[in-house]
Amino acid sequence: MAQPRTAIVRTADRSAAERLGSVSTGNALELRGVTKLFGALAAISDVTISVRPGERRAVLGSNGAGKTTLFNCVTGDFLPTSGTIRLFGEDLTNFPAHERIRRGLRRTYQISLLFGGMTVADNVYLACLGVSRGRFSLLRPRPSDAIVARAHELIEAVHLTRARDTLVSALSYGQQRQLEIALALAGAPRFILFDEPAAGLSPTERSELVAILSGLPDHIGYIIIEHDMDVALRVAESVTMMHNGRVFKEGTPEEIENDAEVQELYLGGGHG
Amino acid sequence: MADVLPTVAPRKSLLALERIPAPVWVLGLLLLAMPAFASNFVLFQIFGWSFILGMIALSLMVLAGYGGMVSLIQMTVAALAGYVVAILGTSGVTQISLGWPWWLYIPLAILIATVFGTLVGALGVRTEGIYTIMITLAIAAAFFYFTRQNYGIFNGYTGFNNVIPPAWFGVDWRQAVPFYYMTLACAVLSYLAVMWMSRTPFGLALQGVRDNPRRMAALGFSVTAHRIVAYTFASAIAAVGGILLVWQNAQVTPGTAGIPQVIDILVIAVVGGLKRPIGPFIGALIYAILSVFASDILHAIGMSGERFKLVVGLGFLAVVGFSPDGVLGLWDKYQARREANRDPLLGGGR
Amino acid sequence: MSTLHNLSTRHPVGTIVVLVLVVGFAWLVFAPWPPGLEQAMGRKRVFLNAIFSGITLGALYFLVASGFTLVFGLMRNVNLAHGSLYLLGGYIGYGVVDATGYWLLAFPVVFVVVGALGLLLQHQVFRRMEGEELRQTLVTIGISIVLADLMLWYWGGQSYQVLSPQWLSGPITLPFVTAVRPNGQAVYLSYPLVRIAILFAAIVIGLAMWFVLNRSKLGMLIRAGVDDRDILAASGVRIQYVFLAVFAFGAGLAGIAGIIGGTFQSLSPGEDTRFLLASLVVVIVGGMGSIPGAALGALIIGLAEQIGLVYAPTYSVVFTFLIMAVVLAFRPQGLLGGRR
Repeated sequence: MAQPRTAIVRTADRSAAERLGSVSTGNALELRGVTKLFGALAAISDVTISVRPGERRAVLGSNGAGKTTLFNCVTGDFLPTSGTIRLFGEDLTNFPAHERIRRGLRRTYQISLLFGGMTVADNVYLACLGVSRGRFSLLRPRPSDAIVARAHELIEAVHLTRARDTLVSALSYGQQRQLEIALALAGAPRFILFDEPAAGLSPTERSELVAILSGLPDHIGYIIIEHDMDVALRVAESVTMMHNGRVFKEGTPEEIENDAEVQELYLGGGHG
Repeated sequence: MADVLPTVAPRKSLLALERIPAPVWVLGLLLLAMPAFASNFVLFQIFGWSFILGMIALSLMVLAGYGGMVSLIQMTVAALAGYVVAILGTSGVTQISLGWPWWLYIPLAILIATVFGTLVGALGVRTEGIYTIMITLAIAAAFFYFTRQNYGIFNGYTGFNNVIPPAWFGVDWRQAVPFYYMTLACAVLSYLAVMWMSRTPFGLALQGVRDNPRRMAALGFSVTAHRIVAYTFASAIAAVGGILLVWQNAQVTPGTAGIPQVIDILVIAVVGGLKRPIGPFIGALIYAILSVFASDILHAIGMSGERFKLVVGLGFLAVVGFSPDGVLGLWDKYQARREANRDPLLGGGR
Repeated sequence: MSTLHNLSTRHPVGTIVVLVLVVGFAWLVFAPWPPGLEQAMGRKRVFLNAIFSGITLGALYFLVASGFTLVFGLMRNVNLAHGSLYLLGGYIGYGVVDATGYWLLAFPVVFVVVGALGLLLQHQVFRRMEGEELRQTLVTIGISIVLADLMLWYWGGQSYQVLSPQWLSGPITLPFVTAVRPNGQAVYLSYPLVRIAILFAAIVIGLAMWFVLNRSKLGMLIRAGVDDRDILAASGVRIQYVFLAVFAFGAGLAGIAGIIGGTFQSLSPGEDTRFLLASLVVVIVGGMGSIPGAALGALIIGLAEQIGLVYAPTYSVVFTFLIMAVVLAFRPQGLLGGRR
């Protein structure tokens, strides 16, 4: 069984985030009528989703359902063709990506998007640096530097301490996925988008992942995209099903699992 | 992907003198003692020029190697700094030069050139990487044509002559030995500055932006802002190089930043190697030696001494074709082969 | 058409401003000028000459830039040797005309020779550096240095002028009123025939390119490739043949432009740089990978240069540069450019 681990999200960050979160009433993440067209192709159409602060939502659907496009719109990789996106009440629709991150949004990627030529320590350090001050600092950090310390803590929390000075390109696949998660937990995240975090993991690694996700502090809400129904339905308290770029059904995991239409389209065919 | 990117290393000791490897000591001593056995010509025309060109090419290397942006504006930035020195200081063109003191015109020259470089960066960084070459080349050309046509400020085709360094401590800094040490000091300082920068949070973030701008944005970094600040840092170095250049030539003309000169800086940086800051200086040394001895070499193989550009072009093509990482790339491959030949059981260095 | 409709509905004020400018400009060109205007702006003949010179210069820039933009749009190759191909074509064209006396003969000869050089470069050099955009660009720089020196060696530093043929020399009278004589008779603009012919040829070539790009299978492949090269590669088409065709065509076109430039301007070392830069600016302003963009950019830059030359000679360069800077600041992908 996994040992009690160091707090992934530090108390100081947690209270800061909680304070921010409690000020705004209403939803943590709110999408209204979001549509994204690529030429004539509608990757997502008229998607309306509301996620409350601290809620754990799974977005499921077959390939091409528009899940990753949805994430890309929320993080700001591209602007939606129409619709609005609100994070904790603030309209982020036209914000550049880095502004959204600085408001507490985080994301992991389906295919690990890491800095292969840098060490694990540097990757995590960058993640911690990105949401703090001193990003343009031309001063080398002192040994007692807060950001460096934070980075070390985070590395420890995802059990990568021994690999701290290893090049990311030399890590195993599972370790890289762990690192992806660590990057998303840097700073004071308020809402995280997990894009297929369980892809390619062994059963043990998958259990660890579930443990990490379930163990996240209550104030952090997240959306998880997954093909692995097992993982998704265990860590989520509500489910949104997408099909052909539209929201097809919403409900609790039990409702979705037992829904006849969903079974016909997805669950009958086994795991993706 | 040859190099391990330097980690943001917490400072241990200030200078870490004990960690400087032996070859660097040897090189350092050699450079310091050079005036003892090199002629004035070699000191001034080959080393001095190499240090200057190396600094300007270093400015390009910072943007290309650490920032992933190949910019052709560096020579223009340098020339602008030279022009400001000529315009605000003293020159042979007395109707334009203002004759201000050096402690005014030198900082102003660096400032103005750096601001110019930053503005160019701001214009160029929002588009795909390969556009940067085009945009900076076009702006460099505009500068060239403008300075050539403008007589009120830039004195047009003729430019400014008799631009010499101030007589600090009563020394004529254009004499071979003082000039050598002055340019050596500037080159070393800029080299150290770049090495330092690469291990700072900013430097690490810049390299992150180079490697994966999408990921950096998703970590909260403003990619555009980082790139622009990189231009500022690089332009400052080029500006200092430009001041030294105008002193060396004792003149500045539109031709100082003509298109061939602008491209030559790229050639120097690429031939030397864009991966580490020593590369541009290696490239500059090769270029300076070739320039000086080209006609002799050409005569030796029976060609007219005028075909220098042909030699440069063919050499450049050879480098890009066979060793795109330049001389540094060749060196790295050589080192890698030596490591591979060593017995793995006995271990090697890192 | 729908784009225009979209643009006008989304920016009604802007559209009105543009319409006013266009109508005002048309009036300036077609109507006889009242005396007050002549005093303020100089003679109308000078103005019309500047406009026409700008348009014909723009035609030349278009011919040079369209090859450049196609090569970049499709192969992502910033061919900085493009100007050298222009100059080489001009020199060879001069040689042909000098030797045979037939101006028209220069065109096919130059197209084939320079196009073949382009073919060789694409096949032997660039194909081996597929995907390494920076390296390809560096190679083109090396090639331009080598070509420039070789041309300097062979043709020397003097200026060459390709003689325009007899049947194209002399002026032509155009239906534009420059002034009205005291007796009420209109004076019409007289302009060199060869320049009008060049403008005509550029329009024809431009339309032909548009036709091929939009109505032929090859054109469809090229446009698809410009939009998304990976999709084109995945579609099983022998993409390398498309690349070869486009590069060879672009090179040949640049060469032909060299003959034209040599006819109504001149050829000398340095012209390669000048036309490379013109291509760069035209494409930055008009948009990469877009032939209409090249046409628009060329027209704007050509006009800006010539009008600037006539009315504010010291600052014509600044004018052009300002246009480029404004486009970069507000629409970095170019006026008609597609992706970012």
